[in-house]
Amino acid sequence: MSSESLVDADSAAKIGTVVAVATGDVYRRDWQRWAAAVGDHNPLWFDADYARGHGYRDIICPPLYLQYSVLGVAALGELRPDGSSGAVTGSMAFPKAPRRMAGGESTTFHLPAYHGDAIEMTRTVESIVEKEGRSGRFVLVTWRSEYRNQRRDLLAEASTSMIARPA
Amino acid sequence: MSPCFEDVDTGDEITALTVSVDETQMFFFSAATYNGHRIHYDKDWARGTEGYDNVLVHGPLQAALLSRALTDWIGGGGRLIAFSVQNRAIAYPGQQLTFGGVITGKRNGGLVDLDIYCKRGAEVLMPGTATVALPSKAAS
Repeated sequence: MSSESLVDADSAAKIGTVVAVATGDVYRRDWQRWAAAVGDHNPLWFDADYARGHGYRDIICPPLYLQYSVLGVAALGELRPDGSSGAVTGSMAFPKAPRRMAGGESTTFHLPAYHGDAIEMTRTVESIVEKEGRSGRFVLVTWRSEYRNQRRDLLAEASTSMIARPA
Repeated sequence: MSPCFEDVDTGDEITALTVSVDETQMFFFSAATYNGHRIHYDKDWARGTEGYDNVLVHGPLQAALLSRALTDWIGGGGRLIAFSVQNRAIAYPGQQLTFGGVITGKRNGGLVDLDIYCKRGAEVLMPGTATVALPSKAAS
């Protein structure tokens, strides 16, 4: 790795390690607010009779909402200058590449989450790679996350990536 | 009403969803996801510090809209099994975005594979793949 690498040693040392374990409860009002913000009024997320008619014991959490159920609380004074918190990503800062945006997400859903479920997410850094794109160099970070409920059932496995670019 | 596994074929398009995200929707999505990132609400930051033309539609909102197109299409009897997307290009508020997909294959167990997309005109902003499980006619 050249001395000009965008990846600092502290971040590189985290590859393969668990960088975050986050827990949170699933609340129907929270997922319904999220669904409404998406304009997604699927009755599976809102109507218990409808959900029971389709084999569920109650309304279910939208699959893509599960990732937000474990978000913690950010002190405003500890935010990055760009306003992001980094709590769930394990506070990887990339000082040489401070412009960040979501790269992509790939999730396999095994079981639905219900209101009141207690979720534990375990996130591991899978890789940190420096790449050259059309608009210059960037760092691609990939995390793997497992989501389990209070019975340790595996609900979902996710691979998430983030792109960080030099200022 | 969910489509049945037997009724869909490779090459079929799902019902596309067309949305122009506005700043109110962006505000509510930031709130619902506890997202303080300035590029979604601070125009001075987005333009002056990060060099964009305006605030940006959240990649996760594009993903959520794409997922909505899928779960609307599969209905209550279908199930989203796998969902994978890449953020390829940014979108600004007010731009008309289309979310859709095309079936690429069918597998045992009622599984249907799709290529999915968020497009602005002909430009793919977010390509991806998905797998859904559809109910069988025999079971209904």
